[in-house]
Amino acid sequence: MAGYKNTKKILSDENVRKLVMARLSVLSKDTMISLGSEGSYTREQLMESVKNGDRVGEKLAEIQLEWLRSFKEKVAV
Amino acid sequence: MIVTRPQHDVITKYLSVWAEEVINFAKEKGIEVFDLIKEKANKKDFCGRVKKLQPDMIFLNGHGDDDCVTGHDDQEIVKAGDNHNILYGAITYALSCNSGKILGQKVTENKMTTYIGYEDKFIFVSDRNYMRCPIDDPKARPFMEASNQVMISLLKGNKAKDASERSKSKFRDNYIRLLSSSADQDSLQAAQCLWWNMRNQVCLGDLDAELKV
Repeated sequence: MAGYKNTKKILSDENVRKLVMARLSVLSKDTMISLGSEGSYTREQLMESVKNGDRVGEKLAEIQLEWLRSFKEKVAV
Repeated sequence: MIVTRPQHDVITKYLSVWAEEVINFAKEKGIEVFDLIKEKANKKDFCGRVKKLQPDMIFLNGHGDDDCVTGHDDQEIVKAGDNHNILYGAITYALSCNSGKILGQKVTENKMTTYIGYEDKFIFVSDRNYMRCPIDDPKARPFMEASNQVMISLLKGNKAKDASERSKSKFRDNYIRLLSSSADQDSLQAAQCLWWNMRNQVCLGDLDAELKV
């Protein structure tokens, strides 16, 4: 886990950005995701964050990548 | 038991409302609850109450960072290197972001102390149509139920390490259910967030601590 946490600008990878955007694009319009002191965000706001590569976007990318990585490590569940 | 429940934004409103489930359960068990809600969730009132009552259990709800947990209007309530020793001797569950990383470690240098919290962001999914009634929000339920399991399990007399494991187990059950669901277009994203919380919950210090009733 520490590997990704210490890696800055995950979203500079265009493939990762597209992956995260694709996942968010299917969220329903009324869904909010709350990330502690960062606040609560709608689908459009989350996609904007990913597009801009800000802290919220980076955190979403980190979660997505670590989750995918966990399957490789067989520790998802 | 002392509970802090700031309510100054959507997130703290959700945490606060769902904490009522824990408060009601504690009262049913005959446990006295000191509920520091809204403006009362401040450093002065919190420290005063803890010093006076020396509670066995402390339930902190609010925002947080690596080294602190905040109360109403994001004012620091407990901070490593400042007043972390206020938590000595108690079992604390902090439903806040990140505080397991430094504050939890610092507090549990005292061997009689237990700290359950999260090493990274506590993330949850909600439906904006339920902002005025978070307790009815079906999207938030899998997150809040799993979190509340820490306190419910402690109040049932389980050891701290078992309470944390039961909470993680609830996160895991909800994660698997959502992962295998095709009924909801949000389910995969929600499942990932549940997995994230499960992975980042830590139980530090005296793992065998339990509520003395």
